[in-house]
Parts: sequence; C-alpha cells; structure tokens
Amino acid sequence: MFFSKKEKSSVADGGLIIFANVEDAIRAEKILRAGSFETRLVAPPPALRRGCDLALEINLTEKPVIEKTLLEKKSHFLEVLPLRGSGELFNVVKVKDFGDAVMVKAANMKLTFDKKTGVILNISGGGCPDIPYLHISMVDKKLSEVISPKEQGYTLCALMLDVAYREALHLWQSEVA
Amino acid sequence: MLLICGTIPIANFPLTMGAVAFAGDELFINEQKIPCTQGTAALVSAACVVADYCQIAPPHVLLAGDIGNGQGSRAIYDYLKKNIGRLSPNILLMHYILPVMGLMKKVVAAAEKCAEKPVLIADASSMYAAKAAGLAPRFDIFTPDLSEMAFLADPDAVHPAYISRHLFNSEILQVPELIAAACQNKNAPRLLIIKGAVDHIVEDGRVIATIREPDIPALEAIGGTGDTISGMISALIDAGVTASEAAITATKANRLAGQIISAKPATKIREIIAALPMALKNILKKEKKND
Repeated sequence: MFFSKKEKSSVADGGLIIFANVEDAIRAEKILRAGSFETRLVAPPPALRRGCDLALEINLTEKPVIEKTLLEKKSHFLEVLPLRGSGELFNVVKVKDFGDAVMVKAANMKLTFDKKTGVILNISGGGCPDIPYLHISMVDKKLSEVISPKEQGYTLCALMLDVAYREALHLWQSEVA
Repeated sequence: MLLICGTIPIANFPLTMGAVAFAGDELFINEQKIPCTQGTAALVSAACVVADYCQIAPPHVLLAGDIGNGQGSRAIYDYLKKNIGRLSPNILLMHYILPVMGLMKKVVAAAEKCAEKPVLIADASSMYAAKAAGLAPRFDIFTPDLSEMAFLADPDAVHPAYISRHLFNSEILQVPELIAAACQNKNAPRLLIIKGAVDHIVEDGRVIATIREPDIPALEAIGGTGDTISGMISALIDAGVTASEAAITATKANRLAGQIISAKPATKIREIIAALPMALKNILKKEKKND
C-alpha cells in the first residue's frame, strides 16, 4: 500500500519570531493564521533560544507587517530574527548630490527629492510588491506630506525605503531650518 | 513564447494571463488598462517596445494585483506551479513577486519539468527569493544593481535589508570581488548583468563586457530603469539574440534613451521608454556601420 507524501509547508522563509514563553508563541500563531500569514511553530535553534522552547517560523520579507499585526493585537514577542546571518537590520545611508536634487540610499532602496521644495522626485531600487504602490503614492508629493513607507508598506523593502525617507526628511528639514 | 510574471500595484486587479499590447504609455491586456509605472509594468512596456522593434510577437504576461500583502504573488506562484508545463514558455521572467522561498522552489522544479527547460530570468524580489532559496545556479540570468550584487555576495543574507555593511559600502572598483564571492557561494546564475555607473556583463563568473557610455548619472535615481533593462533583455532573447549580446544592447539602449531625453532625477520611466525605439535604432545603425 502506498501513502501519498504530504506536501511540505512553504513557510520556511528565513525568519523566526522569538518569545519569552509558550503561551505568547501559541497566541501569536493564532493571530497570524487568522491574518492569513503562513507560519509554523518550531523549536528555535539553540543559538537563538531565549528561554522559550517554541518559536514561530515566518517569511522574513513580511517582518514589518507581521510585527505591526502582533503589536496591534497586543501580542508579546521578543524579537524577529533571520535564521541565518548576524540578524542586524541595515540602517546606514549614502547620500548623492545631483545639484538641485539629493538621492538618499539605504540598502537596495533610493529616494530622490528636490532640494528647494522637498518634493519626492523619484523612488528607485527594491523589488518587493509594495514598492510600485509606494512609488505611486509618494512620488510628486512633499516629504513632509506623505504617509511614511513604514506605515503604508508590508515588506523589508518598504522598511529600507523608510530608512531612506526618514534621512531625506531630516536632510530637507535641516536645510529649511 | 516569452512569459513575464509579476505584480502590479492595483489591489483588486485579478490574476490575468495573455498577450499584452503597449500603446502611448499604457499596457492593454484582456480589455484592461495598466499605467506604465515603475516595476513590472515598466519591464513589460520595455519588452513590448523591443518586440515591436524586432517585429516579433508581443510577450505574454501573468499579472496579478498586489500592494504588498502577497495575495497576488501567491496566486502567481500557484498558477505557475500548475500550468508552466502546459504553457512551456521558451523564456520565463519572474519579477515583482513577494519572495517566498518554498513556492519559488516549486515553480523552478515545475519549470525544469517542461519538455524544454525555459531560459530562466529573475529580477527584483524574484531574484531575492531565488538566491535565498539556493536556486541561483538553476537560473540563467540575474540583473542586480550594485547593492543587490552585494546581497548576492553575502552568503547569509536572505534579503538585501540584511546585507553586511562592508558589502554595502562596495563601490564599482570592488565589483570583481563581489562577483567572485557570489560565484564561490553558488549565488550567481550563468549570466549576471550588474547595473550601475558602469554596467558589467558577467558570464560564468568572468566579466565579458563593461558599458560606460553615455554616462547619465540621473538614471540611478529614476524608478524603473533597471526594470526596462530586464524587459529588453528578455525580448531580445525571444527575438533570437544571444543572452550576452542582448544584455549589451539593452544596457546601451537604456543609457542612450536617457541621453536622448536629457534625463534628470525627476524624469519618469515612461519618458525613458518612449525614447527606447530611437535608442535601439541608433545602436543598430552604429552596429551596421561597424560590420
């Protein structure tokens, strides 16, 4: 007799939510599943264990929206970490001066604004599906009048765009002041 | 058939498959209109321009609306997994799709079961998923910019948001080191097109061409200028051009289009796309002269 092999979950996507206790992990799983996120309870690797034997495996790209969802539901977690690497999220920027415009770059995201008006001229780089949406909603508007990418976006690309946006806003406000 | 898959930033746009047409600055598919903005729409528009220029059939597209929550992306993965064997495209280009490593693995496995394995091209988040899932050597072409090249060179990063700081600080001079690291860690496909102030065309780990002219620094700021390169490459391959020649022509055409319209940081991608036919014509004229 042959048994069909159950299809393996596609969750294993590089991210892990770490909890202080088992109750928090189980509650977070219920919240995320209700929100249609693919997630799975797993035992964290020893190096990432913080006292609780359960962690939630998630798609790391969705870290921003998952954190937002859990915080809104007052679900407690310690941190969201990549399964590999240092776990340090990128937070440095590079600035390029085009004369009338300035481009701020964070990881794979670039935001360019007009020096005089503070209007966002372009957003380039990145690859997650919320970036074209953020492009439409932010370009040709003033830095001080847009909703931040962190509030509107879902993914790590949006989070990197937020790093560039915050630096651009800071640069422009310093210039205006 | 060239099949381009990606999302568009319209939340309720249904999963749509079919041949696409480009007119003015809009795409038309199954009586639906899509504006030519940064992302997959820009890529498809550039592919259409090349197809028209080369007088071949327009590309087929598999599109779904997705503003970041992944619903459209998952519909694309699911459709591909089930139908890629039947569709059997010559070229499969995957673009703005939420990176889900497990689903990408299934799509690639299904593509490899086609009667003839398609030329596999990944850009944007599909390239992130392919690299993070360890699938890079099974792809034929990636089109990273310099920061994405640093991501490919980083053995641990599963997204460019986690690249090592020292790799992010890499400049053009460090490109050979990034290429070597990406190849050593098996995070590079056969052909890499590294987009930047100097474009590098890399075949089997070796730089076979660099394109520096015309130098249009504003192109880096314009959202969609990487998308147009990937779109042109796919359509040129569909027209019978070798992958490396397609890469050289596409990177030159992008620069030339920027020069034709005197691109500035505020230039929109539709303006670059509008100049592509003239850029392609000029390149071809020059090549004929040199023959």
